[in-house]
Amino acid sequence: MAGPVVEQSSHGRRLPFEIPTPVRAALVVGFIYLFLVGVSSLEKGIKIMGEDTQERLFSSVSNPIAGLCVGVLGTVLVQSSSASTSVIVGLVATKGISVDDAVPMIMGANIGTTVTNTLVSLGHVRQSAEFARAFAAATVHDFFNVMAVAVLLPLELVTGVVSGIAKGISEVLVGSAGSEWKSPVKEWVKKPVEWIVDLWDAVGLNGNVQGTIVVLTGLAIVLGALTLITKNMRRLVADRVERSVNNVLGKGSGAVAMLLGLVITIAVQSSSITTSILIPLSAAGVLSLRNAYPVTLGANVGTTITALLAALAASVPEALTIALTHTTFNIMGILFLYVPPFVRDLPVLGSQRLADIAVRQRTWAVGYVMGVFIVLPLVGVALLR
Amino acid sequence: MVMSFFRKGPTGLEHVVSKSVGMLGDARHSFDLATLALLTETPPASVDSDIRATDQRINHSEQELRAELVVHVAVQGTADIGSVLGLILLLKKIERIGDQAKNVLDLAESGVRLANEDDTPAMLEERELISTMFGEAAELLAEPDAEQLEDFGRRVDHLLAEHQGKIEAYLHSDRPGHEVVPRAIYYRYLKRIVANLLGIVRTASDPLPTLDYLDDGATDTDD
Repeated sequence: MAGPVVEQSSHGRRLPFEIPTPVRAALVVGFIYLFLVGVSSLEKGIKIMGEDTQERLFSSVSNPIAGLCVGVLGTVLVQSSSASTSVIVGLVATKGISVDDAVPMIMGANIGTTVTNTLVSLGHVRQSAEFARAFAAATVHDFFNVMAVAVLLPLELVTGVVSGIAKGISEVLVGSAGSEWKSPVKEWVKKPVEWIVDLWDAVGLNGNVQGTIVVLTGLAIVLGALTLITKNMRRLVADRVERSVNNVLGKGSGAVAMLLGLVITIAVQSSSITTSILIPLSAAGVLSLRNAYPVTLGANVGTTITALLAALAASVPEALTIALTHTTFNIMGILFLYVPPFVRDLPVLGSQRLADIAVRQRTWAVGYVMGVFIVLPLVGVALLR
Repeated sequence: MVMSFFRKGPTGLEHVVSKSVGMLGDARHSFDLATLALLTETPPASVDSDIRATDQRINHSEQELRAELVVHVAVQGTADIGSVLGLILLLKKIERIGDQAKNVLDLAESGVRLANEDDTPAMLEERELISTMFGEAAELLAEPDAEQLEDFGRRVDHLLAEHQGKIEAYLHSDRPGHEVVPRAIYYRYLKRIVANLLGIVRTASDPLPTLDYLDDGATDTDD
């Protein structure tokens, strides 16, 4: 074909350098290990800081709305709910934050992660028809996640049902809260975490400063490792993703599309990748809004796998409980807001209405992104901390 | 359907190319039937539904493959954008051949009969030649080969010049209109079909900006 091609060899063109698949797969395993080292370093750094500092640091998130806002802001900042929820798991593992305080943050992370595909949709802003489809496909995810929080956060605050289910599963798997869980992964990552602490010890740091630097090192490792995992997994599974998207989209039921979103997101470890793929497809009219919507819901559930992975590096059952809370919250969201036919269309209608407004007045689209993902959470944190 | 994620299979562009080869087979089928209706005693009504169903199948495949190309860019990024745009043009050319075969059928259905004429054997021979070229084009599409492509291009250029010569001769002929007009129209369709076949195989090798142009972009192939 004209231009650079996938089948370059069959067309007599030179193949660009490509990392062999087994090497790339081995790299991914290495990056997952690095990611677990990062999560464990976070836990270690917070522990080094001491209880007083931890108390001062995390007292601001005891208000659930503030916690929600912190979850949104943190996720918007790193553009990855996998990263932010893994950090939350790490914080819960230190017992600096209780599971109850972390639940709204997890829910906020779910809202924050939708900013990525909304930003991707803004790339179509110059073409009205394309933009309307792209913006609706992006914001249907926002609408669903905000609605899920609006329904499930009050329910959780009153009954504790979301975290209760997660706690029940966690108890069956690793034991009850307050106990020490001998995670084998924790043992595997122990040495590198000690090296990080020793490194900063060697440069003369100690106390809160050392704790902060170890936390920052852990954070950098978590973000870096997740980026590399996502990047490499995307390359590893791109052909499979393409094939299954072609086989499923517009042909399967909502459940099949949801399953597709789940599988792709688990494979690439990023819901943003999955949902961002949907935007150009929706913009081009290849995928309808109603077909894109269930894929985003599958992505919501799929992205919780990273926090579950992070929980393996923690030594307390509460870490697994909060990771499972993320999964439970997203599954309950689907059960409450997608399964009943009378509410299923609400996010679709909301996003279409918003897209209509955004097409007529482009500044509204920018205002929406700034308002929902930055200004409102900032105001929430400022007022309620 | 989701299980396809776990199974091995052709990658995106390979799949589009292999489906395009199938579309070209359909276009050849339409061409064979339509020319049969015009050049032999075959009643046009007997091939009408087959040609129209084949055309629908070609149209449907084109739409499906366009969607697959968008999915390819969305998932794999823009590295293959040149190939994707080339394939979009290629699909359109195959679809156009399907339409042109339908035009030949329309000519037959309008009452034109070129069977049992002096030049019928020559036209049937030419029909066979062009039908074989469909097969060659499909082979070149699946397995591009520079030498074969050059040879194919040479023969197509020769045929196109021949067709143009015939069209001009009919336009200036002293023979009655009901004899020359259908022939001029028929050769115009043949010329476009053959030019599109050349365009299809050239998408495998020509740079995208000058695709469908000759002499480094200076001459329009007029397909």
